[in-house]
Amino acid sequence: MNSDVHKLLRLKRYEHPTPDYFERFVDEFHDRQRSELLRQPAWKLAWERLVDSLPDFRVPRLAYAAVGAAAVAVSAVILVSQQDQGLPATALALNDPRPMVNVLPPGRGDVRLPVSSRSDFPPHYVLEARPVSYESPYSF
Amino acid sequence: MAEVAEEQEINDVDLVARTQDGDPRAFDDLVRKYSPRLYGLVYNMTSNHEDTNDLLQDIFSKAYRSIRGFKGKSSFYTWLHTIATNMTINFLKKRSRTRGMSLDDVDNGIHHDPDFIEMTSGPDARREVNLKELQTRLNEAMMKLSNEHRAVVTMFDIQGMPHAEIGKILGISEGTVRSRLFYAHRQLQNHLQEFLVP
Repeated sequence: MNSDVHKLLRLKRYEHPTPDYFERFVDEFHDRQRSELLRQPAWKLAWERLVDSLPDFRVPRLAYAAVGAAAVAVSAVILVSQQDQGLPATALALNDPRPMVNVLPPGRGDVRLPVSSRSDFPPHYVLEARPVSYESPYSF
Repeated sequence: MAEVAEEQEINDVDLVARTQDGDPRAFDDLVRKYSPRLYGLVYNMTSNHEDTNDLLQDIFSKAYRSIRGFKGKSSFYTWLHTIATNMTINFLKKRSRTRGMSLDDVDNGIHHDPDFIEMTSGPDARREVNLKELQTRLNEAMMKLSNEHRAVVTMFDIQGMPHAEIGKILGISEGTVRSRLFYAHRQLQNHLQEFLVP
């Protein structure tokens, strides 16, 4: 360290305002705080109070807003998807035009499901496929 | 000395807790306690009394608004100085370069300072020093430093803070503090050549 420069710079500590400046400073600070309070819009004050009332879990305060927004978004997606599905599953089964048949043996109850017709399953063909066999192919 | 610092720390903790509980008079005590010191920090970085006054008001307003978020991980002193340094550096980045200096009066105590006496009298007096001229030249030299270098010089050379404390306030290592000081001193030496021993 250059001690001459250091000594010279130390002289700067003698530069300061008059002592009554700091007494006036506190009064000026109060005036400024009051005027700031009056200039602040009501929503900002309400927001600050809301944020202050929230428990602090070392989480950034804006995170509360983000979590709230995310919750609203997820709820909206669930509601919209339910509306798209229209009728619930039971109502769909009742409205199925296909004939119903009881799938349980007689006397065991009554669980009816629609009968599948061929048109429910499109035809499926297997071409050039060999059946699986464990026998040796005898192709010496 | 350490006991006094500890006592001050306890006093700060109490004042901060009372402010957080909604007692504005406790914050007034903190303002009274720290405004002279923070004034020195901001003034020596801006070299302008009016800017220092406005900035100091903003700094304490910001500290008051944020004090609920102060968890005591660092001392209140470090926390407040960090706010002050960041706000002053941001202000200086935006400030018009044309803004001139408006310097405070120099305390008469300087005439009794051993370094000042050594410099201005005796057989190896550097030169006939006009106090106002010295003040102006010192401030001009300071303003030629970058904001970051000026902050380190202000805290170390003028305010007498230890390297570790400066590092905490600026969020840099002690090594970086030392290297910034070394570079800044070299620059200042060039600008203040006439006041230094040949």
